[in-house]
Amino acid sequence: MPTVSVKWQKQVFTGVEIDTEQVPYVFKCQLYDLTGVPPERQKITVKGGLLKDDGDWENLGVKEGQRLMLMGTADEIPKAPEKGPVFIEDLPEDEQGTAALGHTAGLVNLGNTCYMNSTVQCLHSVPELRLALKEYSAAVGTGIDPLLHTLTAATRDLFGELDKSLRPVAPIHFLTVLRKKYPQFAQQTNHGLYMQQDAEECWTQLLYVLSQRLQSVPQDEEEATNPVVKHLFGIELKSFIKCAESAEESSESETVYTLKCHISSEVNHLHEGLKQGLKSELEKTSPILGRSTLHVKESHINKLPPYLTVQFVRFFWKRESNQKAKILRKVGYPLVLDVFDFCTEELRDKLKGPRKVYQETEDAKVGLKKKEKEGAEGVKALQNLGTSTSDENVEMVDDAGQHPSSSEKVCAPEPEVTGIYDLVAVLTHKGRSADSGHYVAWVKQDSGKWIEFDDEQPILQKEEDITKLSGGGDWHMAYICLYKARVALPH
Amino acid sequence: MAPEHPKESHEMDHDAKPPPPSSKSVVKDAKKKKDEKKDEDLSEEDQALKQQLELYVERVQDVDPAIQKVALEAMREEIRTATSSMTSVPKPLKFLRPHYGALKSYYEKMVNAELKRYLADVISVLALTMSEDGDRESLRFRLQGSVGDIGSWGHEYVRNLAGEIGNEFQQRQIEEQPVDDLMDLVKQIVPFHVKHNAEPEAVDLLMEVESLDLLIEHIDKGNYKRTCSYLTSFASYVPEPDDTLVLDIAYQLYCKFEKYPDALRVALRMDNTQYVKSIFAACKDLSEKQQLCYILARQGISLDLDEELADSNEQRDILQELISNSKLSEGYLTLARDLDVMEPKTPDDIYKAHLIDGRASAGASVDSARQNLAATFVNAFVNAGFGQDKLMTVPSTDSLTGSSSGSWLFKNKEHGKASAAASLGLIALWDVDGGLPLVDKYLYSNDNHVIAGALLAVGIVNCGVHNECDPAYALLSESVNKEDPTTRIGAIMGLGLAYAGSQREEVRSNIHTLVHDFKVGIEVAGFAALSLGLVYVGSCNEDVAQSIILALMDRSEAELGEPLAHFLCLGLGLLYLGKQDAVDATMEVAKTLHEKISKFCQVTLDSCAYAGTGNVLKVQAFLSLCGDHLEKGDSHQAPAVLGIALVAMAEELGLDMAIRSLEHLLQYGEQNIHRAVPLALGILSVSNPKISVMDTLSRLSHDTDSEVAMAATVSLGIIGAGTNNARIAGMLRNLSSYYYKDPSLLFCVRIAQGLVHMGKGLLTLNPYHSDRFMLSNVALAGLISFLHGSLDMKSIILGKYHYVLYFLVLAMQPRMLITLDENLKPLSVPVRVGQAVDVVGQAGRPKTITGFQTHTTPVLLATGDRAELATEKYIPLSSVLEGFVILKLNPDYQQDHLGS
Repeated sequence: MPTVSVKWQKQVFTGVEIDTEQVPYVFKCQLYDLTGVPPERQKITVKGGLLKDDGDWENLGVKEGQRLMLMGTADEIPKAPEKGPVFIEDLPEDEQGTAALGHTAGLVNLGNTCYMNSTVQCLHSVPELRLALKEYSAAVGTGIDPLLHTLTAATRDLFGELDKSLRPVAPIHFLTVLRKKYPQFAQQTNHGLYMQQDAEECWTQLLYVLSQRLQSVPQDEEEATNPVVKHLFGIELKSFIKCAESAEESSESETVYTLKCHISSEVNHLHEGLKQGLKSELEKTSPILGRSTLHVKESHINKLPPYLTVQFVRFFWKRESNQKAKILRKVGYPLVLDVFDFCTEELRDKLKGPRKVYQETEDAKVGLKKKEKEGAEGVKALQNLGTSTSDENVEMVDDAGQHPSSSEKVCAPEPEVTGIYDLVAVLTHKGRSADSGHYVAWVKQDSGKWIEFDDEQPILQKEEDITKLSGGGDWHMAYICLYKARVALPH
Repeated sequence: MAPEHPKESHEMDHDAKPPPPSSKSVVKDAKKKKDEKKDEDLSEEDQALKQQLELYVERVQDVDPAIQKVALEAMREEIRTATSSMTSVPKPLKFLRPHYGALKSYYEKMVNAELKRYLADVISVLALTMSEDGDRESLRFRLQGSVGDIGSWGHEYVRNLAGEIGNEFQQRQIEEQPVDDLMDLVKQIVPFHVKHNAEPEAVDLLMEVESLDLLIEHIDKGNYKRTCSYLTSFASYVPEPDDTLVLDIAYQLYCKFEKYPDALRVALRMDNTQYVKSIFAACKDLSEKQQLCYILARQGISLDLDEELADSNEQRDILQELISNSKLSEGYLTLARDLDVMEPKTPDDIYKAHLIDGRASAGASVDSARQNLAATFVNAFVNAGFGQDKLMTVPSTDSLTGSSSGSWLFKNKEHGKASAAASLGLIALWDVDGGLPLVDKYLYSNDNHVIAGALLAVGIVNCGVHNECDPAYALLSESVNKEDPTTRIGAIMGLGLAYAGSQREEVRSNIHTLVHDFKVGIEVAGFAALSLGLVYVGSCNEDVAQSIILALMDRSEAELGEPLAHFLCLGLGLLYLGKQDAVDATMEVAKTLHEKISKFCQVTLDSCAYAGTGNVLKVQAFLSLCGDHLEKGDSHQAPAVLGIALVAMAEELGLDMAIRSLEHLLQYGEQNIHRAVPLALGILSVSNPKISVMDTLSRLSHDTDSEVAMAATVSLGIIGAGTNNARIAGMLRNLSSYYYKDPSLLFCVRIAQGLVHMGKGLLTLNPYHSDRFMLSNVALAGLISFLHGSLDMKSIILGKYHYVLYFLVLAMQPRMLITLDENLKPLSVPVRVGQAVDVVGQAGRPKTITGFQTHTTPVLLATGDRAELATEKYIPLSSVLEGFVILKLNPDYQQDHLGS
């Protein structure tokens, strides 16, 4: 009965006796007691090979004091997960692109159509609009311009293609329809080339068309004309018109789709520009004085949309050069915009509640502890809020897209706007006049990354570079900014 | 007659000048006047000396032998006592110059033999300044002169004489005349040189007269170091087989002075096992023997110590353990702990996506198998040898869901799982006891890819480490004959890695039948051939060569066209790695192979056989191959480009020339050459990021041909391997954003990033070590295998065989200096680490490093760095401070009380 030493991992068991009468399996069982490695997992090197369970000790010639090496562990054998991961290489080719890149395709420039491409890309970034368009199938009604329908359908098709395609999309059909509807976009130079156009004009016209056609499914007669576009982008302004000479005042309210940011020599920031944009002077016949006098018009926001569009009034008609000239002045804009100051008193009151809730959730997120002492109820509410804010995207879609009209009817607490907005898309212009130069769209993705859509080429950008598009040079500068509302759930 | 003679000769001297052209005659006249004036300007002393010498010359030609003798001796005295300055001709020589002709002609007329010899001596010295090039008059008169102390004529004279002897010797060799008289002179000159700090000149002279062995008796304790360093460094410029002769002398010198570690290095360079054994037998000191073992281990030589080579069994066990390299892991981890880099790194720590400008890789919502595979490799390279990482070895926390390591493994697809499982081996590199338990459970997987990877991992863990129990062979040998080809390849490659360079007979019998077995696929045969090539690297083994050649002859044309058929040629080539003309017979056979593979095989054989020799003729042959315009389908130019690099990498000069030649190939070569050039540049500066090479590769990495770009990207990783070089890391980060849409290139960028941060910057891939004196065959073989795998990037590395990347394991070594005390425990001492300076052939004790910093061991050594002890307290047992160095207390050391 020779005794051997057995080395197992970093331990050495000395003086292990081998009963050469028995099969090696018995020896393995001995080792099992020492190491806990089951015999079938034991691998023992003998004479340059492995010890077999039924081997013959005689032939192996184990010597007294020989050192054997035992390999093997009692570790569990790794099993493949039931459901293996899905790899991008396994996906069908048309899905690989978006999955890999995390953004949609670019748009081919069809000859000075970057104004249109950038507009489409910006609008395409609004999920609610995409959803509404997807469901658009209304037949051509009587009494309306059939082109309205075709253009809306073309927009729908184009959006659909953008979502699916890997490669840049050529918006030929859309462009044709657009030019048919609005012949000004089909302007040509003397050489028969299509001319560059003002992106803002394209934006306005396209939104107008969509606002005409995209109507929610009528639930009952009164709400038949609750337009999606108006809900999404419409800003209700309440204006007070004050006569400069007499003390007479009048008020009116209107719905606009964009807030104008006026750029004068005092304006350095979006806030100042908006303030100026909401104030204007106009000549008006004063009923009291019976003549045309100077009136001051001061507007305030009365209702905030989920998406706030801000236009920098960078272009003005320059008579001497007969073109829309550009103001290159640097006007800063924030990634997070608070429009509380521009609201009417009533709206401010209304906003106070959601804003407070919002502030609390923000505080809870950064871990301010003051709320925790408020007892179980407070905590519960907070938890509720925590989950709801993280799902805000989804909720917005539900709210605006699928049941745009039912917002007042659903009993569940609806998210309310807070007056705080996040920048989600920027349309920039580079060049010296509106009808020349280059338009580019910068769009924030769901992943939080920014993509610069330079026609057919999507380029990843950093967030801090987005705020650098504020002008003051010959680089791209913001022309239209699209802000998305932050919402809060009421208690 | 006599008094007028000097004047005459003086005038003759002037008249001897060619008549000046008329236009310049005025100028010449002026010059002549100036000469005369200068003559008159001589100080009184000089004037007297001049007249004295003129008088001697006169008297030499006197009829009275007694007067002649006195004059001659006086003249000798004058010449000898004149201090020989390097900057100006000694005065007596200057004044005697005009009489050279006269003395020579008088010499012919002389009859008195004794006086004639005396005069011959003087003329021989005068010939130093007077004789025409190629006349060798100095030597001629020397041979006719008196036999005596030639050193007394001055250093310059001896040096001149030595030069003439070299020429004369060659001349006589051609004419087949005896050289005995020359040898007598040589025997006088050599001791003179050696005595006067001019060992290189002594060596040169002896080389010229082909009797280097005369050197040994003249070298003493004070100058053997300089002599040997000169011998060993010029050996690389001596053509074969003379280089062995030179090294042999160096070996004998080292042995004579009992510098066994140095002698061992020379013996290893010569690849002479007999010498290695005799060094072990001669060396008596245990510590020194241990140092010898560390050197052997670094070179990857497994020597079985006989009874005679060790004093006792116990001692033998200790030494054998050192040779088996089993302490490597321990030392490496000591270094890592000392540098505080034990914390595992994730691939994201390496990618540093936050530093990338703008378009970082977009947050992909779906796992990409290729990018996960890249992450697997990066993780393995970065955490190589540390035994822990954050993907594969994370301890299992939850027994229900299985260990989390399994979950990363299964984030790889199909063959990717093989590489993922194998990466465990790399993480536990060199640590057999700790590594095998990690791998064990994967051997029982039901997925063939996982098993293959686990088998490969077993091989990787044992790479460069020999264990007495031979676990690798025990675990792998049976799986070689499994059904599944993937499993087979895993086992075969594992055996190749574990036993590279060992020439193990069992391994050969285990896999060599596979090479020429028709029933197995070409891919299994290819890997089998390559593994055999690795195991028998540089051995010229006949049997293995036969098997591979058989396979190459019998496989069908279609099979030979497969990318992996090239591995058959490579395996064959590795057998002759660095063996030069030993390849000739096999080369002849290669010419008879099928045309599809014949050219490729020949070039591969040639490039391997002459790898690391610096043979200029071979480089030229490869360059001319690259000049050909090929018909479509020929693929032998790529290995030729690699061949240029492999041959030229031997020494710095040839290396720089090769880099320049490769630049030319880039300008004038065709596309298939372009694709190999980046890889060749990579191997020329492995782990040695030279700015110029880096810039070239950076440019190529943006090439429009994606294969060039891929090769350049991977090469950026190779030149920066294990250096953490910030510049390359930055380039690669930029490339990763530049290629973020191209998965193949992105994969290459990731691999390169992993290589640059290999072992967190503690490893090197350089096959040269010990002050660039020794070349590790195994490491070079690993690099070549990797390069050949990269030649066909699309079908091998980007295809199913990405695990060829693990061939790099063979070349991985820690780039460290660890000092040990006599009990082999780490000992911290201050060392100076700086840029190495070439001090070969310099007199005295010049500084060997420059721009140094003082650190305490263990320290990292970059390529081109050299270390020296900064304390007198210890004496290192090895003259080259690299790897493990044992220190002995200096018996003469005295604590400097003032200092403390």
